[in-house]
Amino acid sequence: MIRLDNIEVSFGDFTAIPHLDLHVKPGEFFTLLGPSGCGKTTALRTLAGFIEPSRGAVHVDGKNVTRLPSDKRQVGMVFQNYALFPSMSVWENIAFGLRVRKEKSAESDRLVRDIARRVELSDEQLHKNVAELSGGQQQRVAVARALVLRPKILLLDEPLSNLDAKLRHQLRQQLKDLQSEFGITTVYVTHDQDEALAMSDRVAVFNKGVIEQVGTPQEIYDQAATEFVCNFIGDSSPLTSEFVAELNRLSGAGLSPGANSYLRVEKASLTPPLDGGRAVGLPGTVASRTYHGLHSRYVVRSHGTDVRLLVLEDGNVQPEVGAETTLYVQPGHVLQYHPGTGAALAKQDQAVALP
Amino acid sequence: MSGAAVRNGGSVRSMVRSPFVLMVGAVLTWFIAAFLVWPNLNVLIATFFPDGSFSGRAAEKLFSSQRAMKSLGNSFLLALALSITVNVVGIFIVLVTHYFKIRGSRILFLGYATTFIYGGIVLAAGYKFIYGDKGIVTSLLLTVFPGMDPAWFSGFFAVLVVMTFATTTNHMLFVGNALKGVDYQTIEAARNLGASTWTILRRVVLPMLKPTLFAVTILSFLTGLGALSAPQVLGGREFQTITPMILTFANSPTSRDLAALLAVILGVSTILMLAVMSRFEKRGTYYSLSKVSSALQKQQISSPVANAAVHTVAYLLFALYTLPVVLIVLYSFADGAAIQTGQISPGSLTLDNYVRVLTQESGLRPFVISVVYSALATVIAVGGLLLVARLLQKYRNWVASVFEYLLHIPWILPSALLALGLIISYDHPNPLVGGAVLTGTTVILLIAFVTVKIPFTLRMLKASFASVNSSMEEAAAIMGAKTLYVFRRILLPIVLPAAAAIAALNFNSMLDDYDTAIFLAHPLVQPLGLVIKANTDGAEGVEGVANTFVYTVLLMVITGLTMYLVYGRSSRRRAGRKNSAAGASPDPATSPALVAAGTEPAAPVR
Repeated sequence: MIRLDNIEVSFGDFTAIPHLDLHVKPGEFFTLLGPSGCGKTTALRTLAGFIEPSRGAVHVDGKNVTRLPSDKRQVGMVFQNYALFPSMSVWENIAFGLRVRKEKSAESDRLVRDIARRVELSDEQLHKNVAELSGGQQQRVAVARALVLRPKILLLDEPLSNLDAKLRHQLRQQLKDLQSEFGITTVYVTHDQDEALAMSDRVAVFNKGVIEQVGTPQEIYDQAATEFVCNFIGDSSPLTSEFVAELNRLSGAGLSPGANSYLRVEKASLTPPLDGGRAVGLPGTVASRTYHGLHSRYVVRSHGTDVRLLVLEDGNVQPEVGAETTLYVQPGHVLQYHPGTGAALAKQDQAVALP
Repeated sequence: MSGAAVRNGGSVRSMVRSPFVLMVGAVLTWFIAAFLVWPNLNVLIATFFPDGSFSGRAAEKLFSSQRAMKSLGNSFLLALALSITVNVVGIFIVLVTHYFKIRGSRILFLGYATTFIYGGIVLAAGYKFIYGDKGIVTSLLLTVFPGMDPAWFSGFFAVLVVMTFATTTNHMLFVGNALKGVDYQTIEAARNLGASTWTILRRVVLPMLKPTLFAVTILSFLTGLGALSAPQVLGGREFQTITPMILTFANSPTSRDLAALLAVILGVSTILMLAVMSRFEKRGTYYSLSKVSSALQKQQISSPVANAAVHTVAYLLFALYTLPVVLIVLYSFADGAAIQTGQISPGSLTLDNYVRVLTQESGLRPFVISVVYSALATVIAVGGLLLVARLLQKYRNWVASVFEYLLHIPWILPSALLALGLIISYDHPNPLVGGAVLTGTTVILLIAFVTVKIPFTLRMLKASFASVNSSMEEAAAIMGAKTLYVFRRILLPIVLPAAAAIAALNFNSMLDDYDTAIFLAHPLVQPLGLVIKANTDGAEGVEGVANTFVYTVLLMVITGLTMYLVYGRSSRRRAGRKNSAAGASPDPATSPALVAAGTEPAAPVR
């Protein structure tokens, strides 16, 4: 549906995106994720036609649109602050694109009402001023305004970033529902990993203008392709080579002690897995414990490593600071990266624990 | 208001308990009664109750006076025409300097901004010396087209042209600022929805500017309605307006009631227009909906033909704006012969004019008089209002509100009405001023200067007191500091820079004042504005013209310097946080309502 080939974007001397290849499938909810200044918004704006790439081609639905202006690309966009026109009513905002196209007024009205119903805006709200709407309603107006022109793709530029936490959660679901209802190919930009994981079919993680990894949320979380992705997404503890060597000794796994190794916080445990599994136990001391209500965060020191882990506060007695305990780790959960390039090391045979 | 102040009581009872407040209150009450309320009331009385009982004689006289009726018609015609022309030119220059990608837009901006540094009588005089019947350009044109009418630049057309250019200052200030507050994402959104450059401008950008445009339109209308110097200098016999008529009628005791009635009509129209404006300003401002708006980027005009046309018009206007300034500066160095013929050669440029103005008593005198008047009025207004503003900001009750409303009287009344009120109230011994006669003395102009500057000064000072973090006051109070000590050591140092800026703007605008002085100045102590006006009538011959050029250059230097110190540096500081300034609360310094009715930094031609 969308193909970015060999895109380069520069602003004067500064190269924002040195080389970008991206392929988005029809109907997909695709997210560009990364820290601020990583080039994700630049990529989106290149796709929208607000930025002309210095090299490369943009294809939408098989058609080369690289030199086409924004409105000829059949892309709809929802802006970071929705960019609703404050001098117009809700109806006028949604009808703006139709009137620019010189659509007949009866037909415009039908289309506006139709799309408004689908995004759950009432007739009464259609005649309000946009400033009178709540954040959630404004978002629906912005989506309706983009969708009423029946674009092939919908672009969303951090539409939740200037809302408070509670509303953000609510609207996240609303956006996702709208997208699945319309089945429209969507490209979403965010710096919030939680949002990206919860909403997307696939995610592209950006760093310094380069894509580090493209994959399903589970892939980028469990099989982070680079050290940057591993650190940017989720929470993990760096492991010392001494710890890795001990894991190898206990399990016979072929982990590389020289690599940069990490373990996700939720993958370590103070109790053996129920199925007995492949976990091995390492002796350790509780260095700290922070109570969070739902769970506690522990730091357990073992073989020179401070392993961070979560323990569910389910009413059972949990070890206190200073206590000796056993740390259960599955060697297959250890993420390893080349110290020079940061690329993930190929997983070795995930051996079972030695007897 | 801080919690502490509320606890101490912002109440009326706590006010009357403080001897300091009582003292300031007594002085203030006398000032308001004697110079703000009584004179204007007196105009009404003189109009409708000339002999103690109601009389419609003034109205009858007005209806039977063809001249007066014609002037009324002319004023409204000028006001309407000006509202249109100023918007056409003003919107155009704002768009080419702020919205469209135009080559050399910074240079264009400087050209259009020349009206910031000269206005009022100076600008009207400047245009007359250049395009008038004996003007430099006219003389040059006559050598090319000997058959042309030397008085081509006079009457309604000339007045409209001059006032149009002079009044676009408001557009540069307010519309330019409003345009900067437009969220660029809305423009991108419109483009993404298929709108053309023209559609975006017409349907998205201009509607967002509508409240500001409405306000500046009313300001232009009022400027046209109260016009004084431009019709006097350029209107000729056939185009006279209300204010010059008021002046004429006021000078003869038999027609004073007619002058008063005209002043009342002018005043009522002004109040009505301002009321409409403040209503619209309150409910009609489009605040940006978001916290993260992006800065405006200049738009390329896609059609090459339209682009070329816009560039051409922009540079033509640039020439019209800058030509008077360039010629005035150039000819201020020229000798009399060059000024008379318009022919100039490098050899005829000397510093003689400057030496004459700055060393000869007759040349320097008006300048000194204006400087002394402006300085005194500024010191009195800012100094006195520092205390008043502080008290009004501290005490929030009905007494304080009444004082505040009364102090805004000069804001809603045209200066001609205020001046006339002072004349007819104090041309005989009056107990309000200890039985003295003020009309004809040097004091009355000073009083008028102070009163005219009150509303602007008060609002600005109050805003700067309000911006002081109230914890500082509380911290000082908790350590045992008394009210006056807190004021002197904590508050005053914080608001002093703002007060200095306000003082500078006030000083500037009074330096070339004409509208007030023409009614009230002492015949032997004539400030600059009056001398410049006299020179346009040819009173002092070529030397007078040369002197006026020198005065104008000096005024431009002083005003330019002040504007740079007050606005130039602060706007650069402000640029750093443009996002927060984009849509939030309207900046007090840039709200059109504040600047209405003669309180502009550089008064436009009236």
